Amino acid sequence: MKYLVLAGAALATLAAALLLGPADLPLSDVPGSAIVWQLRLPRALLAFLVGGALGVAGTSLQALVRNPLADPFLLGLSGGAGLGAVAAIALHLPGPWALPLAAFVGAVGAMALVYRLGLVGGAELDPRILLLGGVAVGALAGAITTAIVSLAEATELRNAFLWLWGGFSGASWTTVLVMLAYAPLPLGVLVAAARPLDLLALGEEPAQYLGADVRRLKRVVYLAASLLTAAAVAVAGVIGFVGLVVPHVCRLLWGRLHRTLLPTAFLTGGVLLTAADTLARTVVAPRELPVGIVTALLGVPVFAFLLRRWTVS
Amino acid sequence: MRRWTVRAHLAGLVALAAATCARGERAPAAGPAVTDDAGRRVTLAAPARRVVSLLPSFTEILFAIGAGDRLVGRTTWCDYPPTALAVPSVGDGMPPNVEAVAARRPDLVVVYRSGPNVTAAQQLERLGVQTVLFDLNRLEELGSVARRLGVLTGRTAAGDSLARAMDSLASQPPIPGPRSLAFIVWDNPPIVIGAGSFLDRLAGLAGARNVFHDIATPSAQVSIETIAARNPDFIAVLSDTGAPPRYADRPEWRVVPAVRQRRFLLLPGRLFGRPSPRSPEAVRELRRRLASTP
Repeated sequence: MKYLVLAGAALATLAAALLLGPADLPLSDVPGSAIVWQLRLPRALLAFLVGGALGVAGTSLQALVRNPLADPFLLGLSGGAGLGAVAAIALHLPGPWALPLAAFVGAVGAMALVYRLGLVGGAELDPRILLLGGVAVGALAGAITTAIVSLAEATELRNAFLWLWGGFSGASWTTVLVMLAYAPLPLGVLVAAARPLDLLALGEEPAQYLGADVRRLKRVVYLAASLLTAAAVAVAGVIGFVGLVVPHVCRLLWGRLHRTLLPTAFLTGGVLLTAADTLARTVVAPRELPVGIVTALLGVPVFAFLLRRWTVS
Repeated sequence: MRRWTVRAHLAGLVALAAATCARGERAPAAGPAVTDDAGRRVTLAAPARRVVSLLPSFTEILFAIGAGDRLVGRTTWCDYPPTALAVPSVGDGMPPNVEAVAARRPDLVVVYRSGPNVTAAQQLERLGVQTVLFDLNRLEELGSVARRLGVLTGRTAAGDSLARAMDSLASQPPIPGPRSLAFIVWDNPPIVIGAGSFLDRLAGLAGARNVFHDIATPSAQVSIETIAARNPDFIAVLSDTGAPPRYADRPEWRVVPAVRQRRFLLLPGRLFGRPSPRSPEAVRELRRRLASTP
């Protein structure tokens, strides 16, 4: 039933994303229009994929660090991506893909550093140190970024922050294909870890007794979720809120089992971000809103309502 | 204790005298005085001899009115006229490095009025350095800045003459022309120039219609789809390298016909990026490029 509802919502949002836009297209022109095929369709698909990836990454990371505030970007990834993007502009790296690639490298670099910090206590990945290390690495990357921006002479550096705040202006079939080729592996790894993640919710020791290889589980989940987020950053910048709230919404509506939670988080994240991007493109046309603003404006009231219902009952 | 009271009393008297002069404006002994864009009355004892300019446009105006030799400090961005490069730099001026500015021992610092700059100006005033705050975002503001800089540097006639030329350009109505363009200042997210901006005005004077003239703010984020739907004849880009923008080959941008046909107007940022005494030249240059591109 829930999958039927979510699939219906997904189709409806995707259709709306194709039909609505700042350019007034008569319905009869929609099938043949370059605006639909080259702009609206890849953009809607990319928003759906990124929203889904962030929903799944957020769900897994919240389970991993057992902290409801965990967000895919909390663990230093946004700082690393920002540093990569700003460095690409300051060094005048050529080519249309320099910026997203550099952001990806920066995010993965930050992830590797946090991962290494998480292992300082021994062979075990300590969730508390992951959180602290993420904040510290994020702060360090942010400081270096600000230093580059204030010392370098490139005037376009300020615009790097615009890119970093996130959005789907850069969507094309190439970025959709990159995500389609890249995302299934980490997504598959996370879905395969659904049952051990349920056990982890009981605590690390009980999970161990119940047969989960906790040490390996933590490493694999951390790496898969971070690599998923790094790809999202590379194609869409830092889009906050989706990865934080979608897991909670799904948990409140459909329970805590990850076998359900991960697919529903993917669909809910996709629907939320596609709908938010469609609104961002259309409500203030000819201007456009940054999509992160819309996700927060849409998501917070829904979240508050669910939270209230949940605490009352 | 007593000395302090006397001093405070004296300071009060001086302030009162200055205020009277400012209001009456007929004390012949007082030096040049103007009201700046923060609404402050700026009075100098004598025409400024050591000036620090904290905006490239101010530097250009000072040289244009023959006060370039008074300049003892400039920003790293002040690159015109070439002789300006011989003046020591005090940093990028965003926000101004108060110590570096004060170290030039200026008797007047010309500051662009913006939040952090107003704070810096107050700090300079506390150090006993006179400052003057000007707005300069639009063509219409050039004349009044030139006039007041002329007064403050004792080059009143030259300042007035430049101001008249600038005011006459700014008062011309836009020329209706067949060509349209969009200024794209950043590609992801796409940021375009709207009305109420210097560049929109330049385009109008050169006979080109800015397709985003309906956006009232100087710049705005739009989607590629909107740019494609507005279908400008040209994409205007500020570029000092003369190379086409890096998004020119990206598939999503090729939906915009002007990008697909590579109809770019690559305008040098030094000439087009700021209101300056060379703005009439910028208008002519844009008109020439519009006419020479089929």
